[in-house]
Amino acid sequence: MELMKSENIVQDRQPQPQEEEEIMQQEEEEEQRFHVLAVDDSVIDRKLLEKLLKASSYQVTCVESGEKALEYLGLLHHSSPASSSSSQHHHQGHKVNLIMTDFSMPGTSGYDLLKRIKGSSWKDVPVVVMSSENVPSRISMCLEGGAEEFMLKPLQLSDLHKIQAHLLKSLPHS
Amino acid sequence: MDLVQLQRQLVDYRTSLYHEGFLDEQFTQLQSLQDENNPDFVVEVVSLFFEDSERLLNELSKALEQQVIDFKRMDAQVHQLKGSSSSIGAHRVQKLCIVFRNYCEAQNVEGCLKCLQQVKHEYGIIKTKLESMFQLEQQILNAGGSIPV
Repeated sequence: MELMKSENIVQDRQPQPQEEEEIMQQEEEEEQRFHVLAVDDSVIDRKLLEKLLKASSYQVTCVESGEKALEYLGLLHHSSPASSSSSQHHHQGHKVNLIMTDFSMPGTSGYDLLKRIKGSSWKDVPVVVMSSENVPSRISMCLEGGAEEFMLKPLQLSDLHKIQAHLLKSLPHS
Repeated sequence: MDLVQLQRQLVDYRTSLYHEGFLDEQFTQLQSLQDENNPDFVVEVVSLFFEDSERLLNELSKALEQQVIDFKRMDAQVHQLKGSSSSIGAHRVQKLCIVFRNYCEAQNVEGCLKCLQQVKHEYGIIKTKLESMFQLEQQILNAGGSIPV
């Protein structure tokens, strides 16, 4: 299973008290950064997207298919996941603040993924659909399907400010 | 050749690749993403592109040798190649893929065969040129210099 995480803390032995504190600090810092789930069947585009997002200080998890994305979100075998209220936007302790998905993917397409997400407990997480093709009917279909944004590939650093806007919007209101 | 000459050679070579339409602005984007934390980023992405393209070109060759040609599958593969060449700025390859897809859609075998040859040819050229460019860059680094932007 190809699952790339930008940050991965692997502990094989019992950490010393000082290390424990460092690890907790690191985890806290991670929790404060926005976490983006990126879905694309192209290995090149995944690498590019990961770099673009990390260059903007986001935490990134890349998956290679719609199915893998659904699996990550716990939506694969349930129509409505039995998730506790506290884990609504969390997976394995990590929140997901934004989902970016390619439109044309074999199997579960970006649009299929969008609809599944919007019909689930993850519906409040903004979804951005990306495509290399500028097809107006495709764009309106995605926006009507609940996508917050439709972006043309290849993405550039200058496109990321659009993403930031959606991420900031998704912050809980006090 | 001394360092300054090497650096000049690199700049001229790179400029010519853009002028002759081998590379487009997207390649510049790639370079702008490379930094001290990721000094091999461009080489890594381009290497992925080489692997992916060769796989796709092989599959397309095989597809066109079949008794019954699966144009839909071929179209999906050309779409992939178009996408990846676009993502790294391999301009000529990308443009040829657009033509190739039209032939797939029209289910035109002759057209597809001709296009495949052209894409293979252009891919071979850009691969050679990028490898030459990376070699020049490595020579500069080995001589203790830095890569001019």
